[in-house]
Amino acid sequence: MTATVSLAAPQPHADLNPLPDADFRAAVRNWIAASYPQELRSPPKRLHAAEAMPWYRILSQQGWLAPGWPRQYGGMGLSPSKLLIMIEEMERYGCARLPDTGLTMVGPLLIAHGTDAQRAYHLPKILSGEIIWCQGYSEPDAGSDLAALRTSAVREGDQWVINGQKVWTTLGMDAQWIFVLARTDPRAAKQKGISFFLVPMDTPGVTVRSILNIDLHDEFAEVFFDDVRIPADAIVGEVNEGWTIAKNLLGFERLFLGSPKQSEGALDHLERLCHHLGKSGDYASLLNGLRMELEDHKSFYTTFADRVRRGETLGPDVSMLKINQSALYQKIADRIMDVAGELGTLAGQVPDAPTLYPGSVFLQARPTSIYGGSSEIQRNIVARQVLGLGR
Amino acid sequence: MAAVLATGEDRFEGVRLLVESAAGIAPRDGDLKTVRHLRFGRPGIDRGRWSEISAMGWLGIRLPETAGGAGLGMAEYAALAGEVGAALLPEPFIEAQLALDFMGKDAPAEALSGDRLVLPAWLDAPDGLTLAGGIAEAAGGRISGRRRFVPMAAAADAFLVVSTEACWLIDAKAAGVSLEIESALDGGHTATLILDGVEAERLSAPDAKALEAAALATASALLGLMERAFAITLDYLKTRVQFGQPIGHFQALQHKAVDLEIEIGLTRAVLRDAVETFDTGDDCRRITSRAKARAADAAMLVTRQAVQFHGAIGYTDEADIGLFLRRAMVLAPRYGSAGFHRQRYASLTEGRP
Repeated sequence: MTATVSLAAPQPHADLNPLPDADFRAAVRNWIAASYPQELRSPPKRLHAAEAMPWYRILSQQGWLAPGWPRQYGGMGLSPSKLLIMIEEMERYGCARLPDTGLTMVGPLLIAHGTDAQRAYHLPKILSGEIIWCQGYSEPDAGSDLAALRTSAVREGDQWVINGQKVWTTLGMDAQWIFVLARTDPRAAKQKGISFFLVPMDTPGVTVRSILNIDLHDEFAEVFFDDVRIPADAIVGEVNEGWTIAKNLLGFERLFLGSPKQSEGALDHLERLCHHLGKSGDYASLLNGLRMELEDHKSFYTTFADRVRRGETLGPDVSMLKINQSALYQKIADRIMDVAGELGTLAGQVPDAPTLYPGSVFLQARPTSIYGGSSEIQRNIVARQVLGLGR
Repeated sequence: MAAVLATGEDRFEGVRLLVESAAGIAPRDGDLKTVRHLRFGRPGIDRGRWSEISAMGWLGIRLPETAGGAGLGMAEYAALAGEVGAALLPEPFIEAQLALDFMGKDAPAEALSGDRLVLPAWLDAPDGLTLAGGIAEAAGGRISGRRRFVPMAAAADAFLVVSTEACWLIDAKAAGVSLEIESALDGGHTATLILDGVEAERLSAPDAKALEAAALATASALLGLMERAFAITLDYLKTRVQFGQPIGHFQALQHKAVDLEIEIGLTRAVLRDAVETFDTGDDCRRITSRAKARAADAAMLVTRQAVQFHGAIGYTDEADIGLFLRRAMVLAPRYGSAGFHRQRYASLTEGRP
């Protein structure tokens, strides 16, 4: 038997899975209220790593950074229903998004495909916040057509030498390491000659240039590789097998991007906006309809998260989850603009209600149907690989 | 390819020439460097361009010639607003026009000449097209009260404070005037104007039809904006190559593009009918509501889908397409959001056969 968990102040690293869901919710809610840094509540823009680190470290010390990882690797090993409760409570409180690429992508990838040495080195450093990760996938001419990527890695002795350019690297200026898809066999068919590498950003030859997004935030970056030399063991999986790894990783990404987190936060925003305008009654039907859609999406999410928890690899059908999430998120964001009137034209927060920033919510919802594979590409995947239509 | 929103043949030619003459100030294919340069600055407008606009005779375009105007109609005004919208000019053309329309024969010559920029302060809620009360006039003509969401207020030389019963002209620098300025998403700004015993010149009661004209002109600006955003996007669909071909070859994108063309066509058609109704002098409120609701929703749809078509580059500040989305976000709720106009249409329709 495990020791009793305090619902008022849950002990760090305690196994919360045995708790009934209602108790788990109470424990999470109490702990967030007692622990969350107030100055980071409901930030109008995504935080840079340096800004988010206080919250990252608080979660790290509590052992709550990686709710979905197995407990043996330092995660919480939560069931999907408890994962959803955690998302709901954090969104309701206005907890900021973390620099989470290591937590949502690299960690699960290494748990599934890494060597023991890679797991032993990297997982603790992700969980401590010592290494923040970023992603090196897209290139200027390889976006939707990712397999057209041209960044190359050439073997020289016991090193790989990388040359090329990556783009749309979220928080690229903040990260200590980047994972990179590079072409290792230029003569092979498009998807065949690609490998997957782990690269420290302070390696000579790596340069980063930040890019302003449409919301005027330097959220992403271009990363240039100029004769960047990394050791032979910096590869994940086999040489020329990177596309398989990359596809698995996209499965994790689509599960994460398909989580109801963003829609939950946006609907909460819409509810507060209606309340602020004194129009909660006028919009009751709208709010109720969106709430029901969100709950349906959570059911959808649970079916995929359950499969991951059972150790299955997600197939192409997870694209449907991401399509539906981004569509719902954008629908809620559109309604926010409909309701906001002139408040939706402001570049910053609403002066007498600083947790409201309707225009920014709308703009920040735009890329969700673009990044991680656009909704058009996701539909192609489902049409061809799930429905068996076309090529 | 500007829309000429006039039906009669003589009028059509006149509007076409007017649109052509606008290209010097508001070119449809001009670069957007000066728009970017003025963003988030104060006052945020180019006074040289404002002088050019007035020299072209655009200010007071609807006022009779006896009042110093050009004596033209809504078709001409809407056409110019469309060009200003397509060029993303930050100068408050429609707002200045609204002030002149409110003042009518009282409009001062220096406002018509562009030397004195008079901006209207009429709104007291986040949404709507209804004049508000709440301006108190003390003995000696000093006024107190508040007006919200005054666009580009930092550029004003004077404000026209508007209530249901009267208009008052006040100097922007007069004692008792204060502004609370907030940046707007398009790089302009919007202000709350607070009046505390301000010396004011009282003018006659406002003509409420001026607001209908402003709503239609804004619908036209949204039309110009979406036409140009769509043209830029079509170019991108024809030139961006992925999977070995221009992305415009993919049927999924073709069909979405066609749906946007339909939205633009609908907006143009409704607006043309609305402008014609306005110029006949009939009650145009229902069709104004149709035009503004359609234009607001269509412009938001076209510009956000334009960003989607551009992919990740569309989500950057360096891509011009985002400027169109951000301006659409600012113009869509102005002079009544789509939701407001749908409600107004319903209430004006009640009891009709």
